[in-house]
Amino acid sequence: MWMANTRSSSGARRLALACFALLLVALFLLPVQIQGLLEYLDGPVGHVVRIPLEAIASIDAGIADRWQQYVALQGVREENQQLRKEIEWLRGQNSQLRESAAATERLTALLQFKEQALPTMVAAQVIGRDATNRYRAIILNKGESDGIKPDMGVITPAGVVGRVVKTTGASSVVLLVTDPNNAIAGLIQRTRDEGIVEGTQQGLAQLKYIPLLSTLRDGDRVVTSGLVGGFPRGLAIGTITRIDKQEGALFQSAELLPEVDVSRVEEVLVIQASYGQSRKAAGGVDLPGKPSP
Amino acid sequence: MKYLLYLILVLLLVPVQTTLLPHLSVWNIKPDLGLVAAAFIGLFSGEMEGLLAGLAIGWVLSLFSAGELWLSLLTNGGVGLLAGFLGRQVSQVTSISLGVALLLVSLASGLLAVANFKNLDLSQMWWMVESIVLPQACFDGAVGTGLYWLLSQRFDVTRLRTE
Repeated sequence: MWMANTRSSSGARRLALACFALLLVALFLLPVQIQGLLEYLDGPVGHVVRIPLEAIASIDAGIADRWQQYVALQGVREENQQLRKEIEWLRGQNSQLRESAAATERLTALLQFKEQALPTMVAAQVIGRDATNRYRAIILNKGESDGIKPDMGVITPAGVVGRVVKTTGASSVVLLVTDPNNAIAGLIQRTRDEGIVEGTQQGLAQLKYIPLLSTLRDGDRVVTSGLVGGFPRGLAIGTITRIDKQEGALFQSAELLPEVDVSRVEEVLVIQASYGQSRKAAGGVDLPGKPSP
Repeated sequence: MKYLLYLILVLLLVPVQTTLLPHLSVWNIKPDLGLVAAAFIGLFSGEMEGLLAGLAIGWVLSLFSAGELWLSLLTNGGVGLLAGFLGRQVSQVTSISLGVALLLVSLASGLLAVANFKNLDLSQMWWMVESIVLPQACFDGAVGTGLYWLLSQRFDVTRLRTE
């Protein structure tokens, strides 16, 4: 090895070092101010970056669509037969549930409960995954300009997907329910015991801080408790697959299989306003089944 | 012209990193193209451009990640600066030596990120290191090696670096 020809003067080298040192000092001494300064630029930059991002995401979605429609059709016949059986079973279930719903409606009228407003939601498309490998997060094609803010809950009709953690003008980052940094207030539907749902490193979720006296069992469903903002009560999070009760521990915990396969999610609904605020929120609709475009 | 190319690179890195690379990931690990790009810019254009390009890449990529901004700025900017210094000091850069350097730098930035995670016990930290940080460092090194080898097949890279 030998010395290469220098491309720039030692002055430029010193300047680069000084700039980096200054940046380090600024980042450690004034982190909030630096972040605030860059946030002014996040909006316009987010709009600019959205153009190539959406273009490539739509090409990617197109290819995936073609693949699913034409190439990946092996085994569809068997799947179709299985689904037909499932439909038959669900029809039976549906009629039973209709009966229960009618009974609930009568009882509700009888008790004169106040009608609860449904949350306002905005539909968004998944256009990417976290830029790093260290977080399980997805990127949505809606951002601050669509009324999306950090801490809003994100769901699909099947259940909880995650929570918005970062927004730019035209996009937002959603930390998935399977990320260990996420925490959502959960409730075991059968026993009504509350706990905190966190992601695990294996890509599943776990319900922590369950009271020791809880009679939970495998197969119990966990739903949102609605105690902490972002999610209304009763949205499906997952099903308990394993219970962890250690000797001398103050709480027990349980492993959950998330209701939503977050690795395949393509469209989501962002909960903009919880109960009671839905009518006031602009640009949204009030039915979970009918998200705004 | 060069700065326009940098701008296009930064804008294209986001969709490639967030939309295309997840399809090419191995065991759910994808390479950090931002880190590789910052290192190449530093190597070929010097420490100042490496630093600035690394900072820009770090900032824009952090907009599309749940990670912290300062870490992204620090690692990408630092890699650009370091590559600029090394490119000036070492004239005989081979694709293998560049790959090894990228592996080490990626490992260092990954370890910094793991150390920055809150509420992780030692076993969780180790799990992150062996299943995310280490494979990603190998991936980054391999991508750097491949890219440099491709460039050296088409161009006189030593002349490119010293011009």
